[in-house]
Amino acid sequence: MLRATLKGMAARKARLILTSIAVVLGSAFIAAALVLTASIQATVDDLNGDAYAGADVIVQPVEPENRGDRLVRDGVSAETLAAIEANDDVASVSTTVTWMVNALGDDGKIVGGFAPTMAVNWGDESVERELREGRGPETAGEVAVSARFVTESGLGLGDTVEAYSLATDQTAYEIVGVFGYSGDRDSLSGATELAFTTAEAQRLVFDGEDVYTTVAVTGADGVSGDELLAALEPAVGDEAEALTWQAYVDDLNAETAEATSLIGYFLLGFGLIAVFVSVFLIANTFSIVIAGRLKEIAMMRAVGASRGQIIRSVLAEAGLLGAVASVVGAGLGVAAGAGLTSLVGNSFLDTASTSVAVPAAAPVAAVAVGLVVTVLSALLPAVRASKTPPVEAMREAVKADKPITGVTVTGLLVTLVGATGIVLGLTETFDGDKANLAAAAVGAGIVFVGVALLTAWLSKPVVALLGAVWSWSFAGRLGRLNASRNPRRTAVTAAALMIGVTLVTATATLLTSVKASLAEQFESSIKAELFITGPVTSSVPATFDPALMDDIRDADGVAAAVELYYDLAQVDGTEQYVNATTDLAGGIELFGGEVLQGTVADLEEGQTVVNEWSANELGIGVGDTVTMTFSRGSEAHEFTITGILADNEDTDGWYVDPSYAAEFYTPKPTTALVDVADGADVDEVTAEVESILADEPAVSVQNHEEYLAQVTVFFDYAVIAIQLLLALAMIVAVIGVVNTLVLSVLERTRELGMLRAIGMTRGQTTRMVTVESVTIALFGALLGIGTGLLLGWIVQQALVPSGIEEFAVPTALIAAYLGAAVLVGLLAAIAPAVRASKVDILGAISYE
Amino acid sequence: MPLANPPAPQLTRTRAAVDATNLLRAYGSGEAQVVALRNVSVQFASGAFTAIMGPSGSGKSTLMHCLAGLDTVDRGSVRIGDTEITGLNDKALTRLRRDKIGFIFQQFNLLPTLTAEENILLPASIAGAKADPAWIGRVIATLDLADRLTHKPTELSGGQQQRVACARALATRPEVVFADEPTGNLDTRSSGEVLRFLRRSVDDFGQTIVMVTHDPSAAAHADRVVFLADGQIVEDLHRPTADSVIDTMRGFENRVPLAGEGR
Repeated sequence: MLRATLKGMAARKARLILTSIAVVLGSAFIAAALVLTASIQATVDDLNGDAYAGADVIVQPVEPENRGDRLVRDGVSAETLAAIEANDDVASVSTTVTWMVNALGDDGKIVGGFAPTMAVNWGDESVERELREGRGPETAGEVAVSARFVTESGLGLGDTVEAYSLATDQTAYEIVGVFGYSGDRDSLSGATELAFTTAEAQRLVFDGEDVYTTVAVTGADGVSGDELLAALEPAVGDEAEALTWQAYVDDLNAETAEATSLIGYFLLGFGLIAVFVSVFLIANTFSIVIAGRLKEIAMMRAVGASRGQIIRSVLAEAGLLGAVASVVGAGLGVAAGAGLTSLVGNSFLDTASTSVAVPAAAPVAAVAVGLVVTVLSALLPAVRASKTPPVEAMREAVKADKPITGVTVTGLLVTLVGATGIVLGLTETFDGDKANLAAAAVGAGIVFVGVALLTAWLSKPVVALLGAVWSWSFAGRLGRLNASRNPRRTAVTAAALMIGVTLVTATATLLTSVKASLAEQFESSIKAELFITGPVTSSVPATFDPALMDDIRDADGVAAAVELYYDLAQVDGTEQYVNATTDLAGGIELFGGEVLQGTVADLEEGQTVVNEWSANELGIGVGDTVTMTFSRGSEAHEFTITGILADNEDTDGWYVDPSYAAEFYTPKPTTALVDVADGADVDEVTAEVESILADEPAVSVQNHEEYLAQVTVFFDYAVIAIQLLLALAMIVAVIGVVNTLVLSVLERTRELGMLRAIGMTRGQTTRMVTVESVTIALFGALLGIGTGLLLGWIVQQALVPSGIEEFAVPTALIAAYLGAAVLVGLLAAIAPAVRASKVDILGAISYE
Repeated sequence: MPLANPPAPQLTRTRAAVDATNLLRAYGSGEAQVVALRNVSVQFASGAFTAIMGPSGSGKSTLMHCLAGLDTVDRGSVRIGDTEITGLNDKALTRLRRDKIGFIFQQFNLLPTLTAEENILLPASIAGAKADPAWIGRVIATLDLADRLTHKPTELSGGQQQRVACARALATRPEVVFADEPTGNLDTRSSGEVLRFLRRSVDDFGQTIVMVTHDPSAAAHADRVVFLADGQIVEDLHRPTADSVIDTMRGFENRVPLAGEGR
């Protein structure tokens, strides 16, 4: 029996190759995801290992337990540094002063996108910097910049750069040097750096305090890291913490491992989606191949092969194919993972020397998944094949399709079960977020399977409807009829395409709905027409001079203008957002807020206002007192609550007088709202406010639309990223369409021969196959869009309590998906159509 | 039911619908070369029903394929009506087959996705032309298919399917219909129906039919039987009967040292 299987496989190479591509892709993606994750981790570990290379002990400020998310850095004091330096076991000490700054490029805009701009003290030895041009800074007004800063800012040696931090006003520095990093790198992981004198760096980072971000200590000869650590403990005391260099690097690695493993799960998730898609593809291919071999199988049954032998034969074929394909896939995946690592290394980490790590799990998981998926996918076709009655061997092949009622009923039930799972999960019926999330995710998976089962039933009406488009051409009509002649096959092929489209549509719908809901809330609650704010991607929040607010209030056509400072402060020992503004009553008004109790007008020092939920959380009310410690403040202040605000996302938080802003994370306002007077021209007022802010390039004046676009820019990136990753699932699906068409064309060789014999041209034959292909692809896309909109709607409905009240359809994207489906159909049709048009007429119509 | 005496066709005075001259067709090369047609010259009169017979490997199918523009000849000339078809490119040949030739196959070869009526109209549809409804109606009536028009091929018996195929072949009123073993897959009764229809289409509609068969009783429906053996025409029998066909086959089988079908 096995011999027969092997010989049979050898005779059907083309079909086998088509089937195995799906397995190869699925396995490859899994292997690539695992290798990429491990390699990025290894590369980052290497980079982390370069930090303070040669040092034995690292001293850094103690991070307060409850201030993990703190906005302002503490430092190691000069006294501690002096004590360390005085220790006999210490050979040398290197200090680092660093934090984020904003620098303006030659266009007056803040340099940098997602990667930060860092200020650092020249002489810092945390990494190896290599001077390329000029020299290091010697006076407060000088700066050396990293090579990446030069490319991003458009500034160079001899130019003047404007920079500021949260602690300093905008200051001009002369660029006296340009540096790179060891290994000829232009940046550290894409970040740009400005190196100042230590004193200037301390002014920027610590508001002029003589403290340091880290102190790296090298021990004297013969002193081990642990001995040095023990020796330094008394000098460091409670103010800072000392740890060995190895412990420091281990901590760094653990921190980055969290991020890289997240990327890994993300990629693995998409790999599994690709595998899920290939299940459809493999099952379909096996079904078709077996359908074409019914006679052969019946003959084997007739000469005495048992049903079990038939099943084993098909499964052996699947197993062999799965093994070979998944090994190839694992190999390709490991190679792709290694290739991607250097790509990621070069473009994101800016390092030429990447380490490729191949965890044993990568090939093992890839082969295991490929093998199991292939055999499982072939199981159903195998069982069906075994049911072939021996008498089929004697009959002519033309057979009516089996009824699809059973499949349809099952599909409906499965869809309902899945939808129930999603709804239960999203309405948080179960205990724990994980259980609810799992219920929703499993539900979504089940809905896929359900809809996939329903596709056979849906294919008739939908394909007929799509077919109307082609009815003007006879070849088109034949193609459409071919697409619906085997609903199961069309359905499974389309279902594979549906999965990817469903996921992108659902994500896009949800994100569009979130955006629309934000916009709606915004429009309905916020009364101000204009916003003054900086880009969301700047290293530190863009701020502006509060003195300008008076000019803005006095400008023609401005009814009111309110500026906002914010801080993440300790309120009675808990982390809370605290805002400050000179005109709280006006701000509440412009933001559409509501005062529940007490008063909000004229906040004086020692008075505060808070929203109801936050007050309840602390169990306090009007008249009670709280203590607040601000980001930059060293001492706690006492406040009496004078008013309570109604809960409202736009006004939630604590409010204090701006006199405290000096202790805030942002000592200057980050945002302002401008209410344009009734009857005033908004464009004119915008221009007027812009001219007032002419010397504040970091911030700009935006209307609602511009402001929303900026706030929601991350959603757009998310949609793009998800679409790129799901493109892989689409590729698998395209191969599925090609597969189905090639096999259909093979099956219909005689028919094609007849059509060509009685006068169908090659062009018509090509058109016929192309229409079949495009119809299947469009069907899949429509199903996906439908299911995606449904899933998106379900999730949106579940999120209504969280404020996602609007349901918005991403029409432009959906139109793009349909266009892509047509393109997919056209591309998938090329090979099968050429094959069909070149069919050997004589061979096809001969009957011997 | 034996056929009533067909009206004697006046073969000599009719122009040839298909005219083949000195056809040479060989497959392969060197030692393995098989010559399928050796200098075959034959004419098929317009409005006549001709059968081509011969044992397996005699070249009868190759001859038909070459005549119908499905296969190319190595030497010689084939004319369909006024058209010289040797040397035509694929496009022109396709058009010729579409407009001037009808085909009937052993396996019926209907499109399973189309109804009987749509199958009948297939050649016209492919050409993007409108079939002559009066003519189609007449063909359908003659073939007794009127109440089967909306059926799909899977819902039809073999005989009915072949009748649909016959209607399809005649639908465009082609210059010539090539029938390749049209009764090969049919029972005796259905075979008789199909053959009687072919006969009628010649007698009543003046259709030219060339039929390849190995069945002497099928050949007996023709006006003329051309016998092929080893790539050559060995006999040309006019007004055949089943017995005369069998006799002829016995006769040349004795002369030609090829294994015949011995029927």
